[in-house]
Amino acid sequence: MTAQIELENVQKHYGTFHALKDIDLSIPKGQFVALVGPSGCGKSTLLRSIAGLERISSGTLSIEGTVVNDMPPRKRDLAMVFQSYALYPHMSVRDNLTYALRLKGVSKADRAKAAQEVAGVIGLQDLLDRKPKELSGGQRQRVAMGRAIIREPKAFLFDEPLSNLDAALRVRMRKEVRALHDRIGATSVYVTHDQIEAMTMADHVVVLQAGVIEQQGAPMALYERPANRFVAGFIGSPAMNFVPGVVTETGRGVRLDMPGAPEIATEIDAAPGRAVDVGLRPEHLAIGASHGTSFPVQVAAVEQTGSSCYLFTEGAPELLVTTDGTSALRAGAAIDLSIAPGQVHLFDPETGLSLRD
Amino acid sequence: MRRALQSMRDGIGFDTMLVILALSYLFVFAGLPLIYNVVISFQTVDVFSLGTLLHPSAGAENYENIFDDRQAGTVLWNTIIFTLGSVAIQFTLGFALALFFHQNFTGATWIRGLFLAAWVMPGLVVGVLWNWLLSGDFGVINHVLESLGIIDQPVFWRSNPDTSLYSVMIANIWYGTPFNMILLAVGLSAIPEDLYEAAELDGANAFQRFWTITLPMMRATIGAVLALGVIFTLQQFDLFAAITQGGPAGSSTVAQYWSWELSFREFDFGRGAVISVLMIVVVLFVSLFYVRSTKAETQL
Repeated sequence: MTAQIELENVQKHYGTFHALKDIDLSIPKGQFVALVGPSGCGKSTLLRSIAGLERISSGTLSIEGTVVNDMPPRKRDLAMVFQSYALYPHMSVRDNLTYALRLKGVSKADRAKAAQEVAGVIGLQDLLDRKPKELSGGQRQRVAMGRAIIREPKAFLFDEPLSNLDAALRVRMRKEVRALHDRIGATSVYVTHDQIEAMTMADHVVVLQAGVIEQQGAPMALYERPANRFVAGFIGSPAMNFVPGVVTETGRGVRLDMPGAPEIATEIDAAPGRAVDVGLRPEHLAIGASHGTSFPVQVAAVEQTGSSCYLFTEGAPELLVTTDGTSALRAGAAIDLSIAPGQVHLFDPETGLSLRD
Repeated sequence: MRRALQSMRDGIGFDTMLVILALSYLFVFAGLPLIYNVVISFQTVDVFSLGTLLHPSAGAENYENIFDDRQAGTVLWNTIIFTLGSVAIQFTLGFALALFFHQNFTGATWIRGLFLAAWVMPGLVVGVLWNWLLSGDFGVINHVLESLGIIDQPVFWRSNPDTSLYSVMIANIWYGTPFNMILLAVGLSAIPEDLYEAAELDGANAFQRFWTITLPMMRATIGAVLALGVIFTLQQFDLFAAITQGGPAGSSTVAQYWSWELSFREFDFGRGAVISVLMIVVVLFVSLFYVRSTKAETQL
């Protein structure tokens, strides 16, 4: 089966700035793909290149098997939801929804019917005659989605569509967008800087940094087997702890470069005596000796959210430990930490690459 | 007393004072002359009675004289042609230039700035400039037209009754186009770029984007520019004075020039005032349109 959208060796230059480097990405029909990374990583440029709003400098970009490098956006049959929503302010919601149909020459009666149908899907039946300025942020967001759905395009492109909404609405819309995707069975490419959005919504997550795809795969695969230090630190919340360490004589263990730290067993093969960066997720550290050998640390600060508790330790490197529920610990308390077996990540201190493979 | 002072310092007293200052300025320097102008239009005023505040009443005689004047028809027609022609062409050229410079090619901002050179020139200078350009014997325009083979012999633009009005109109269009361009360019740049991107993805070609996004989004600006264009064109005096002096034989006389001629050439201030009163009525309606346009602009 040919991929719905396929990028091969795509490059994008702005003058001397190399915005996208060797992008290879294949998106099967019906998949929800998230492009995630910090600001300026090239995720929006990549999305806009797929849309045709930016011209790629080299490589091939194909949609349903047709190379579209030189095809203008209006012929690509893709729908985009913008961060700003980009609703037409001088048109009613109905006219916003049916703008694309009007351009295609669909009759007025058919347009009205389609608008009614889509308004039902996105829950805006009563607002069809309003202007965008009379809508709330969440309603505008829905109109932007409706405008994309009504066209039944080859794929949906989302450019941080939820970032202008408040936190509670964002969580709700996250679920709605995904549910809509499943109902329509469309192909979606979703740009976000929020790794939680990417993890919760996507089938396939692409992590970008400085114009390079650092890693791509299923959300849990990225969490469990990050290919490098960047992905390890970016995916997962709160972020992974990194501690320098040395591989033990047997090659099947690692000793943290911290006072009193014990030897931790790993199943990763590494040369004995090799210096490594050890990655420990906050949720894989436990207070007490529940995971076996423990080591003493001092608590520097405690943050409680009610459902979980974040402990920061004294000294360098600082460790972050999360525990469920509330905690009676206060700053200055002395505690023992233990590390969950098999949950240790090793990275090359120079290249940052995982030593797992 | 203290309360009044306090209100002056940080209450609504200060606001009221500012409003009164502005209003009294307008009343003294615009309101009173306007009213006096209306009063004069109903009086007999000549050079000898000009110095007194009150003059003998003329009833509606001045108005009757103006409407019965055999020049009135020509002047009305000339004014309509001159105003509508100037505004329509200025606007079209200005819009085309604004769209052109909106493409943001290298040097666009620079060249657009140079266009303003025409607009900042005094009207009399522009008039002199076009006098030379349009001159029958040695004018550049005749030379170019002859070289291109469009005309066989020189056209005497300013002294031919068939072309005299148009020679002023050409100069006025040249003079007013940059102003149209700048205002329309501001309106264009106020349209968010992502609307065009959204429309492009929705399948709109360049023409459709102009028709369905640019034009409706510019409605308020266009209304304001057209209204200002009409008002400024009705104020145009310098170019007539410099190029044709309303001639030959009144063939290029427009209302504002006729009013000046009656008042300051024939010293019949009453009849001169009649024309300005009639023009005020027209401008009033245009201003209403302008205010409505700018109000729509702020609401968008």
